[in-house]
Amino acid sequence: MNRRDFLRYHLQGAFALAAGSTGLLLPKESMAVGEPDIVVVEGAPGAATRAALNLLGGMGQFVKPGDRVLIKPNMSFSHPPESATNTHPEVVRELAVMCKEAGAAKVLILDNPLASAKRCLERSGIYDTCNPIDDCTVAMITSSKHFKRVDIPKATDMTSNEVMKEVLKSDVLIAAPVAKSHAAAGVSLSMKGMMGLIRKRRAMHWRYDLDTSIVDLCTLLKADLAVIDASRVLSTNGPGGPGKVLHEKKIIVSKDMVAADACAVSMFEWYGRRFKPRQVGHILEAHKRGLGRMDVENLTIKTMTL
Amino acid sequence: MSLRRAIQLISLALFLFFLIVASTSFGSYLPVDSFLQLDPTHFMGTLVSARYFSLSFLTAILVLLITLVLGRIFCGYICPLGTTLDGTDKIFCPSHEKRPRLGNLRPIKYYIIAFLFGAAVLGVSLIFIAAPLSLITRFYGLVVYPVFALFADGILSIIQPLADRFGISSLVFAQIKTPRFATQFFILVFFAAIFASARFSPRFWCRYLCPSGALLALVSRKPLLRRRVTEDCTDCGKCVESCPMGAIPEDPCLTLHEECIVCRTCEKVCPVDAVAFTSEVPGQPSHGVEFSQTRRRFIASGLTGAVTAAISLTGLKAVSNQGALGQVADPRLIRPPGALPEKEFLSRCVRCGECMAACPTNTLQPIWFQAGFIGLFSPALNMRRGPCDPECIRCGEVCPTNAITNLLKNERIWAKLGTAVILRHACLAWEHQKKCLVCDEVCPFDAVVFKDEPEHEVPVPHVIEDRCAGCGYCEYFCPVQNQAAIVVTPMGALRQSRGSYEEEAKRQGLKLVLRPKDEYGLPESEEKDTRGPAPGFTE
Repeated sequence: MNRRDFLRYHLQGAFALAAGSTGLLLPKESMAVGEPDIVVVEGAPGAATRAALNLLGGMGQFVKPGDRVLIKPNMSFSHPPESATNTHPEVVRELAVMCKEAGAAKVLILDNPLASAKRCLERSGIYDTCNPIDDCTVAMITSSKHFKRVDIPKATDMTSNEVMKEVLKSDVLIAAPVAKSHAAAGVSLSMKGMMGLIRKRRAMHWRYDLDTSIVDLCTLLKADLAVIDASRVLSTNGPGGPGKVLHEKKIIVSKDMVAADACAVSMFEWYGRRFKPRQVGHILEAHKRGLGRMDVENLTIKTMTL
Repeated sequence: MSLRRAIQLISLALFLFFLIVASTSFGSYLPVDSFLQLDPTHFMGTLVSARYFSLSFLTAILVLLITLVLGRIFCGYICPLGTTLDGTDKIFCPSHEKRPRLGNLRPIKYYIIAFLFGAAVLGVSLIFIAAPLSLITRFYGLVVYPVFALFADGILSIIQPLADRFGISSLVFAQIKTPRFATQFFILVFFAAIFASARFSPRFWCRYLCPSGALLALVSRKPLLRRRVTEDCTDCGKCVESCPMGAIPEDPCLTLHEECIVCRTCEKVCPVDAVAFTSEVPGQPSHGVEFSQTRRRFIASGLTGAVTAAISLTGLKAVSNQGALGQVADPRLIRPPGALPEKEFLSRCVRCGECMAACPTNTLQPIWFQAGFIGLFSPALNMRRGPCDPECIRCGEVCPTNAITNLLKNERIWAKLGTAVILRHACLAWEHQKKCLVCDEVCPFDAVVFKDEPEHEVPVPHVIEDRCAGCGYCEYFCPVQNQAAIVVTPMGALRQSRGSYEEEAKRQGLKLVLRPKDEYGLPESEEKDTRGPAPGFTE
């Protein structure tokens, strides 16, 4: 990131915050008292990410000085950002920069690819955008030596799997998926994205029930912060595309993975139709098991347009 | 260290360097197959068996021409197998007195080359049995390199925690891929035998067996620069004893020049400096004649080769011509992208294993008898080990005989390897009603679609044959264990010796497209009616 961009994003963020705090730009429902459960900001990917996090209360509540932060974006397809199969590089960069500002000692941006790791890193744009940031590493992890077998105590089906050691070492886990459809799971958002941090994901298809095991996994890998990149939404033929891409220009953030995912489901069109969060198996199950809330109509949602 | 040792080590190092480079992404910028092209057996054998000549074989011709002038310096200075044997001989070779005495085995190498030519005349390439560069490339590429990589990755794992502590982030997640290969134990045992043959004499292989040594010997009976002995010779016999090739007969004034590899050990050990390698003719015959009475056996060996080839051509799996009736081939034999039609392919492939060492996904493996006896050690894809990257052209780049076409980047995706077939009885979606879509997710060509079918609770996969390039991503990632539920079969594979793959594929109506750019981000207005089944959602 060059300095001009950096400053621009900061200014946009500061402006957004100022505007937001005076209520100038906000619709009424977002003026609810206290911190919102979900924030939705419309704007350029990077700026919207910053504004949304600031409205949620700032990165400082998640990242403390000296923390190791792990960001899990979607970057396991060797496609460019416009395909909407990977998280937008500017969203990931903004998150990494904000973590650094909050004092993070180390920011790791990791995924486990489905195609040539090198080309995924290159074409997603995330490596070039984020790796130059100080103390920030973008890498693909495939070798079994970087994984460790872990029990999942709260599981009902998948009681163990192999998790990236880095996840276990990090203090903060941020889910940063792109919003996309998924032929087996309905949608692939922050919860489904956690499958990128484990090694034996094939078993989730053949041995376990996919929806149940996604929830099992999220009881273990419960992200502290979910940032859904809906700047582009892959509305059909996900997760690999090519499908219909909606240019929604939105960023959804929440401390609750389930709420963020549920919000994304209800907010956009999928296969030309509208769905309720309960129509996505793993969201419904996560809600029932108390992992988070899918009843977005009862939650405080703050929205803003930059 | 003598000059010769230095040259040998540099040559071996260069050979290994090229091999390592071939297995990294820098492969395309260096002539990584150049050593393989020096081997006269590769050149002559391929010339005869495949009726194929390539300009790159000029280097092998150069080797033959140089040998005419300087003798077998290729064997003494360049050949990586020779250098390796010089090293292992130090371990295995007993001192001179303890060696068992052998009869005259020298002609064997001529019989071997005659055997190979006899087979080659019938279009069958058996040079992989004995061509030294093919053997040594296979040895280092498929046996030594994986072990080396395994250790290197082990060391890396040890230092990675330190790298993390000192913030060397580039190292923390680095990994050295350890390739794994089939047939390696055969290669190992074969080489163990070659190494152990030093019990009988140093450079046993080079003296008695090497077909390239034989070819070079044929042109080095009277090289311009050769060993000469002056009248100062005291007949002490030190040179006779020390010659690693046994090229000095009882009379040390004479030399079997065709056996001499110009190592100049005799010159070094001579106490009276009577030995020199010069072009001067001191007016005395320098050449010792040893073997005779071999013409009959030589011809017999050639005939044996021809008969072996004929037998192999009547083997059940032999390919007489492409697409002939009653073709028996392994149902899962998938050749590398751009591989020539099978018959031509086998006659050109020297089984050096360079393509396998270079393959970034390790899917290229040497085979046993899936393609019959004459297909031994030839490369085939094992999709369960790795998919074939549709943007990768490495195997063709490194192939020394173009048995695998060196495809241009834009031609590559049209080189269809086969077609994926779903084994519905094993499929998680079709048979077990599980939510699985992995084949669709990973297909780089979007050739797998999931549809709702009556009597199926979950969407089930279908392959669109015209879009399938047979890359094997689906087979590799299929979560069904051992036998995948979607497999690539050779059906529809494109293999041609000339012409454009793209034109042929398009002529056949194939739509092999790597998720093209213009399909991304469809303008919302253009695709209004996306209403339809929404896989994965519940009603």
